[in-house]
Amino acid sequence: MKIRTLRYFIKEGFINSYRNKLMSLASVLIVVTSLIIFGVFVLISLNAQHNIGIWKEQPQLQAFCYQEIDDIQVRRVEEIIKADERILSYEKVTREQALERMRERLGKDAAILDGYGADIFPVSFIIRLKDVSYSSEVVKDLEKVTGIEKVSYSQDTVELITRMSHWFSLGCSVMIIVFLVASVFIIANTIKLTVFARRREISIMKYIGATDWFIRWPFVVEGVIISITGAILAFIVSAYGYKAVVDKFTQDAFFAQTNLLSMLSIESVWSRLAVYYAVIAVVVGAAGSFVSMRRYLKV
Amino acid sequence: MVELRNVSKTYANGTVALRDINLRLDKGEFVFLVGPSGSGKSTLVKLLLKEEDATEGEVYVNGYDVTSMTRQEIPYLRRSLGVVFQDFRLLPNKTVYENVAFAMIITEALPKEIRRQVPMALALVGLSRKANMYPHQLSGGEQQRVALARALVNNPALLIADEPTGNLDPETSWEIMKLLSEINHRGTTVIVATHEKSIVDAMKKRVVAISKGVIVRDQEKGLYRDEDKNTPVLY
Ligand SMILES: Nc1ncnc2c1ncn2[C@@H]1O[C@H](COP(=O)(O)OP(=O)(O)O)[C@@H](O)[C@H]1O
Ligand SMILES: [Mg+2]
Repeated sequence: MKIRTLRYFIKEGFINSYRNKLMSLASVLIVVTSLIIFGVFVLISLNAQHNIGIWKEQPQLQAFCYQEIDDIQVRRVEEIIKADERILSYEKVTREQALERMRERLGKDAAILDGYGADIFPVSFIIRLKDVSYSSEVVKDLEKVTGIEKVSYSQDTVELITRMSHWFSLGCSVMIIVFLVASVFIIANTIKLTVFARRREISIMKYIGATDWFIRWPFVVEGVIISITGAILAFIVSAYGYKAVVDKFTQDAFFAQTNLLSMLSIESVWSRLAVYYAVIAVVVGAAGSFVSMRRYLKV
Repeated sequence: MVELRNVSKTYANGTVALRDINLRLDKGEFVFLVGPSGSGKSTLVKLLLKEEDATEGEVYVNGYDVTSMTRQEIPYLRRSLGVVFQDFRLLPNKTVYENVAFAMIITEALPKEIRRQVPMALALVGLSRKANMYPHQLSGGEQQRVALARALVNNPALLIADEPTGNLDPETSWEIMKLLSEINHRGTTVIVATHEKSIVDAMKKRVVAISKGVIVRDQEKGLYRDEDKNTPVLY
């Protein structure tokens, strides 16, 4: 295809979508909606993976000693932990530190702790493993150690998150498919209207020897213009929306202190989002045009 | 140039539009295709353009075997000839210049070629000064001239006109017919389907008369009606 012909197709595509303003607009909105749903899904998935990744990289266990054991028994437990080859590092949380952490967590309600001493809290060890795969056996072994009451296991959380994100993905995929199919059909319908509006022109083009593809290309361009416009709008909305959420999130005191969750910055996701949107837009737009041409443009 | 061998056309609804047509046109000829309304003139033109397929027989146009050609080849057959219709078939939102240029754009002609050819075609039909007007600003005769310029801009060897003067007053009709004759003198083969009796009679060209789908007469320097036989013609 020659450049000037391409330019002609693009110009005609714009003219088509402009002449058919209302339907084009409706199609654009459907595309925007689908892409935003898709974008939310992508962003949540990316963040879920990001957090699962962090947790997996730092497999953490917390071993709690019985509350009533004395320092000598605590030291014995510590020796065992220190000697374990599978453990990368550990951090001892004393009764005083545990009290302090509880105070912090309770904030203004900390008054209820007044009158109690640190001795109501057990000593515990926060343990980092060399590899996440050791988790379950280490937990089993530690639970057998005299002096340890229980071991909390963050693997449970990882599994929970993984499972939740699986169901979430499934739900979103269904919605995305429904909306993308809707987008294809509304684009097809919009183009059908243009084809009808231009059928006289199309028949004249055939008489003077235009090839089928020469007649079809402007309609393909029209479909792609609609979907690309939708993609640009969806990108703007979702990028700003995401940035606002991230800003709110980083200001949130609870998450800031606990380090329980972290969010990817907009800078690290926008390019991926843009590429996804662009690819989907071109595919959906072209698919819409082709559906329309198969049905209504028997050139 | 153009040849039909034992061509018959029956439409899907059973109407027999053409029956065993044999016709040969040589390069440079000018032929009037005459006959009353419904006699099959337009059907014959449609077969030449492969807008319709012959039910039987063979059709050859400009070296193309029209009967056996595939859909993909049709545009190239149509580019090799020019065609004008009673209703002009211009694009209303394009100027005169753009309408004519469009026939070249679809062939992906060079812009340089387009800039050279379009003014020449417009000059040939005497519309150079109206190049920037839109079809609705022109008279019927002028619109048909634009259609002619568009048909000629790719320098086709064959020009087909189906009732080109059907929507025009007698005076304008004459001008268009003279123009067709002039185009023929420049070497283009011309087929004109018409029932303009006075013009056909005055121009003394080859006349092929069709009646009820059958060629009833083929005469050099003919008249609309065969005076000798007094063939009754219904119109
Ligand atoms: N698409 C069609 N389907 C069925 N019959 C047709 C069709 N087109 C033309 N006819 C019939 O074929 C015959 C010839 O028509 P046509 O070629 O248009 O004649 P003319 O151009 O000489 O007036 C007429 O009886 C007409 O009704
Ligand atoms: Mg006719």
